[in-house]
Amino acid sequence: MRKAAEWQLALPLALAFASIFLAPLLMLVGVSFFNDDKITQPGFGQWAKFLGDPFSYKVIADTMLLGVKTVCATVLIGYPLALVYLDASPRVQKVLIFIIVMPLLLSVVVRTFAWIVVLGREGVVNTVLMQIGVISEPLRLLQTELGLVISLTQIEMPLMLLPLISVMSRLDPNMRDASAALGASRWRTLFTVIVPLSMPGLVAGCLLVFASSTTAFISQTVIGGVRLIYLPLLIWQQSLVVFNWPLAAVVSITLLVSVLSVVSALSYLGRRSSGYLHG
Amino acid sequence: MGRRRSFADISYGLVIGGLAVLALFIIVAPVVIVLMTSFTEGRSLKFPPTGFSLQWYEALFDPSKSRQIHRAVSNSLEVAAYSTVFGVLLGSLAALGLSRSRSKLARAADSLFMSPLVLPGLTFGLAALMYFTLIGLRPSIHLIIAGHMIVTVPFILRTTTASLSQLDPALLDSSLSLGASWLYTLRRVTLPLIAPGIFAGAFLAFMASIDNVPVSLFLSTARTDMLPIRMWGMMESTLDPRIAAVSGVLIAAAFLLMLIMEWTVGLTRRMRD
Amino acid sequence: MFSRRTLLAGATAIGGVSLLPAIAHAKGIVTAATYPGVWEDAYRSIVAPALKKKDDIELELQPLFAVDQIAKAKAARGAPPFDAFVLDPGPRITAIEGGLFEKFDGKKLTNASKLPAGMIDEWGVCVNAQVVGIAYNPKKVPAPKGWKDLLTDPWVSRLGLTGFQTTFGTVSLIEIAKVFGGSETNIDPALVELKKVLSKVAAVGQPAAMPSLFQQGQCDVMYTNTQTVATLKSKGVDIDFVKPETGAVAFFTTLHLAKGTTEAENAYKYCDIVAGKEVQEALTKPPFNFIPINKDVPLPDYLPMKSLDEMSSYVRHDWAKINPLRASWIEKFNKEMAK
Repeated sequence: MRKAAEWQLALPLALAFASIFLAPLLMLVGVSFFNDDKITQPGFGQWAKFLGDPFSYKVIADTMLLGVKTVCATVLIGYPLALVYLDASPRVQKVLIFIIVMPLLLSVVVRTFAWIVVLGREGVVNTVLMQIGVISEPLRLLQTELGLVISLTQIEMPLMLLPLISVMSRLDPNMRDASAALGASRWRTLFTVIVPLSMPGLVAGCLLVFASSTTAFISQTVIGGVRLIYLPLLIWQQSLVVFNWPLAAVVSITLLVSVLSVVSALSYLGRRSSGYLHG
Repeated sequence: MGRRRSFADISYGLVIGGLAVLALFIIVAPVVIVLMTSFTEGRSLKFPPTGFSLQWYEALFDPSKSRQIHRAVSNSLEVAAYSTVFGVLLGSLAALGLSRSRSKLARAADSLFMSPLVLPGLTFGLAALMYFTLIGLRPSIHLIIAGHMIVTVPFILRTTTASLSQLDPALLDSSLSLGASWLYTLRRVTLPLIAPGIFAGAFLAFMASIDNVPVSLFLSTARTDMLPIRMWGMMESTLDPRIAAVSGVLIAAAFLLMLIMEWTVGLTRRMRD
Repeated sequence: MFSRRTLLAGATAIGGVSLLPAIAHAKGIVTAATYPGVWEDAYRSIVAPALKKKDDIELELQPLFAVDQIAKAKAARGAPPFDAFVLDPGPRITAIEGGLFEKFDGKKLTNASKLPAGMIDEWGVCVNAQVVGIAYNPKKVPAPKGWKDLLTDPWVSRLGLTGFQTTFGTVSLIEIAKVFGGSETNIDPALVELKKVLSKVAAVGQPAAMPSLFQQGQCDVMYTNTQTVATLKSKGVDIDFVKPETGAVAFFTTLHLAKGTTEAENAYKYCDIVAGKEVQEALTKPPFNFIPINKDVPLPDYLPMKSLDEMSSYVRHDWAKINPLRASWIEKFNKEMAK
């Protein structure tokens, strides 16, 4: 009785999803099986066109790689920040939390402007490096994948850190002390104690970051430029510039399926690793 | 901490500290640039700003000069508030329902609820408009709220599920076995413990709604002008510095809100306890 | 668990979302799509009051780019989200082919006689001219003479490119192609030549980002229209317009009635007031800098032409030929420019 009652709690959301999300999504799937942009001749033409073009696979791979690189970059600098947070005093922790959520307060419109200023040819980074004499010619940072990953790292940071910190700060501090008392170096404690135990938070963060960076159309096109081609650009071109909605649907479904498979793999890992916590 | 710090410990401090500083720099730099630009004396969004003035904040608060922006702000706030409230209600209920279930169906439902995060907003916006038109609904603020609720509820679901997964099941069982009703346990045990998780999710969802471009683009009408769409137009054609001032106001408001929350709820509590 | 009462309460809460204050008692109302930014500002501050004053009609404006207007109208087939479109020539043809317009009756415009010949057709009325050419930063690079210069130093390493997604981008790439032996239907030479210098090009960007990229010095040369140049210049940006030696490109922006509109009469009045001398003259002035189409309105002196007639010598394109090719051009541009 009680068990039955529990899953029913998901019903209202399921109903909302069925009527507002699933129905349009199914329509999209339907639209993808039309050959012409007027949506009159059913067929597999658009799927064949998209999947038959080697360029599509390059774009799919680049999009997934962009997600992976952003996740790696966010973990590389976000995880140490979480460790620092963990060791900080409550007062400093409050300040850190405010800083961590700050990117969310910057509208995507003006955020792209800020990154043009930071990474541009006459931007902050180049000006500083040239003035201290490290480089003589401006580096090309804007409209490169490196620049794009850096700018994505900023906006993804809260998505990585909020779940990560919430899990890490519930870890028993005695665990670390015990490890240190047993003579383990801080590196060893990090990799054998803290990282495994914080895995559920890390996985949740990676999942959010991966999904959000692979679909970040505005950052991808404005910071990355249109020479770096990812699936959202193709979707935009097909749906809004040439109005070929069947092809736009094909690309959207491809993006959805590719990202969801990576995300499912990640959450499978997450579930396995949460075994560490609850035995 | 021993008196002699080993090489490993020093390198740990340097590497971890250095990377954390880099992270803080990447987070803060764009914010600083936008804030500095918002105080420019010049006529366009340009960095470095020329001179210091409050003119763009004055222009932003001027009821006649910025009437359209005010209208867009009030629409965006209204949509964000309603979609977050409905998202919290439905999302946290669903998290309660699914978090303890290990069934395949529950996991499938969980991925379904996460998928709006993965489907590009543009695609969802277009498909939703086509679908709503098909069933005879015309774009309106109600549809925008529904659309925003769908694309922001994953945040609430994720953070709530994360706090629930750390809730000791024994606690619930003991409450129930002591004869407390399910509802009483929910109200007195579960909710207080997961409230910070719901709260963090609600914050993420609210901000995601405020900043959503594509769903609003397709579901809005002439009377439901939304803030990010208006800002996009200002950025593209006139480089209007008011868009930097909007962010300045948003950051100040969030700072105030944070102080108030700190005072009442204790946002960081869930991080510590 | 969820009684009908809770559901009803929820529904009431949704329904109770306060809508905007009721529109003041005007005789009529018309909803028109307009481009975001300068267009919307101008139409809101000039056209709306004029329409209210003359015909007591309330003008509701919905800021949407041309492509968004088409997408929205297509998705909402039969129930148009607005009564009037404003479109560039390419999207106009897409919309005609998609059956998104009502037929247009030019006789309903009192200002019809004030417009040059050919400005009104069975689908709509021209209300604005656009002239596309090259913009450059006079403090950083010398003035280029024409399209060919864009691909040579010193300009090429300061060049900001955009693709086929906008009208101005498409016509500029066609003009570059023509210099190298291409034509209105063959843009391959432009892509071949661009590819040779691609590693030097400063930026290949999203059109919406170009003003910021230009202002921050990422690129110092780009193709755009006179209105953008005049607007940025008035904001203190170092920018000047050059009419290419092979001629500037001209095209017209048109207003159309949406298929299925219930406010056709008011929409005609809206089109009429936009084409009238008063509104056209006001739109021509800063900060809006439109190019007028009404013969009674003098042209501002920053423009490369002295009269509307001179514009007939400018390069024009046949969008009925361009439109069917655009999808394949976009694909080619993607593949040729991709890193």
